[in-house]
Amino acid sequence: MRSVIDIRRDFPIFKQHPGLAYLDSAATSHKPEAVIEGIANFYRSENSNIHRGIYDLAAQTSAKYEAVRKNVADLIGAESEKEIIYTSGTTDSINLVAHGFLAERLNPGDEVLITAMEHHANLIPWQMVCKWRGAKLRIIPLNEKGEIDMAVYKDMLSERVKMLAVVHISNSLGCINPVEEMIAEAHKFDIPVLLDGAQSITHLPVDVRSLDCDFLAFSGHKMFGPTGIGVLYGKAAYLEEMQPVRFGGDMIRLVSYEETTFAPFPQKFEAGTTNIAGVIGLGYAVDYLSNFDRVEIHKRMKELRSYALDKLADVPDIRIIGQSDHSSGIVSFMLGNVHPHDIATFLGTEQIAIRAGHHCTQPLMNLLEIPATTRASFSIYSREEEIDRLAAELKNIHSFFS
Amino acid sequence: MNPRLKELYKSVILKHSKEPVNYEKREDAGEHIDAYNSLCGDRFQLYFDLEEGKIKDVSFHGYGCAISKASTSVLVKFLEGKSLGEAQVMVKEYLDSLSVEGEVIDLPEEFEAFGAARDFPGRMKCATLAWEEMADYFEKE
Repeated sequence: MRSVIDIRRDFPIFKQHPGLAYLDSAATSHKPEAVIEGIANFYRSENSNIHRGIYDLAAQTSAKYEAVRKNVADLIGAESEKEIIYTSGTTDSINLVAHGFLAERLNPGDEVLITAMEHHANLIPWQMVCKWRGAKLRIIPLNEKGEIDMAVYKDMLSERVKMLAVVHISNSLGCINPVEEMIAEAHKFDIPVLLDGAQSITHLPVDVRSLDCDFLAFSGHKMFGPTGIGVLYGKAAYLEEMQPVRFGGDMIRLVSYEETTFAPFPQKFEAGTTNIAGVIGLGYAVDYLSNFDRVEIHKRMKELRSYALDKLADVPDIRIIGQSDHSSGIVSFMLGNVHPHDIATFLGTEQIAIRAGHHCTQPLMNLLEIPATTRASFSIYSREEEIDRLAAELKNIHSFFS
Repeated sequence: MNPRLKELYKSVILKHSKEPVNYEKREDAGEHIDAYNSLCGDRFQLYFDLEEGKIKDVSFHGYGCAISKASTSVLVKFLEGKSLGEAQVMVKEYLDSLSVEGEVIDLPEEFEAFGAARDFPGRMKCATLAWEEMADYFEKE
């Protein structure tokens, strides 16, 4: 892999903020020049709406928009680019599956499984659909290290379960879940599986065919792309069955005042003028990410986490939340009784950007009996010296508050 | 460490967050106010009784950061024994003093400590959480 110093040159934000220790990449990644320029250039010299336009600019934009679909399909190993649906992000992708796919299949007494560590985005859509259809949302518990309890999970599988939704890398705990095994077990009961890949898409070699997941949801902005664009991958047979939940222009075959027939997927899920510049930006982000071997990125994330655990071990009263040995570049912790927001404010004045709060996993925080955590998260541009600064400042904060 | 931040947290906030005034649940209280910030999860319950138009036996309980806990503690301390009218004026003065620098003069030192929160917009809500709930309560009374 290229050196971190070299990689950092790709990201103009670090030139603007030379003193910034950005340890919040799980919230959003920074954007490389190629993505920023790509979007600006699109608006500057290619801008037009897609599809029906006959003139050159529109045809070029349509072609580019569809070419990105192919690049995304290649990135995740999808069989066909038709299995790639553009959404506004992970949340949007999961909502589409919950309402367009699962709702029709779900009857009173049926069950949906999620884990105790899910982000609100992979919890509330299922909770809503279960309430609506009289089905039961069941929560797969965690062991004392914060890992999924696989024995209990296997016991929970049955013919009643109509969907499993699970996060690949936990945004709160940093653990990498054994999703290959979980998917294989679920498939024994023909249960479709949705994988929340928001954190893993950049940091693991996510391949939908080797994982055999039925749906994969992820966002552009956590993988060096712009905000407001995301992807839903689905297996063709399921996308055929899944119904659109938004209706309007560009998703139809034939329309009369009485009836409408829909276009085939993926078009039937992309009503209205979509986030075209977002798709173009996503394309540049995929190109950028494709310059890296994600096996190498994964190694680097493990290296940074283990470096951070070593450094934090020297800080008095530190408690790491999420102790799995199988983790990515995310470290959640508590510092004595100091509230995470107080910690974040102190770190912020030293230009150390971390995240404090429940990380959109309130039920998990309740389960762990903590109100919030402080979280440091890394990316390909993260440096050990930033972790050193974090650890040093945490020591100061600890002594100030004690 | 940042001197302005130390200023904000100095004795008043650290003292009140570590040794909060009348920090106890009181389910039998006549009045009960729930101060909750859904963005961060901080949540405090305020308890008091009204006797002949005066606020009595104020206490609070809950969970939050040092600033939100201290600002609630200071509120509890200064509410005790005030008439509803006096308390309403006091709460307004406190909130005004935080919204614009130099707006209100001659405030208790324990109020002024929170003025430094103006430098940290992300933390303003922590200094005002319980106070704003109190202001709403007076509006409704």
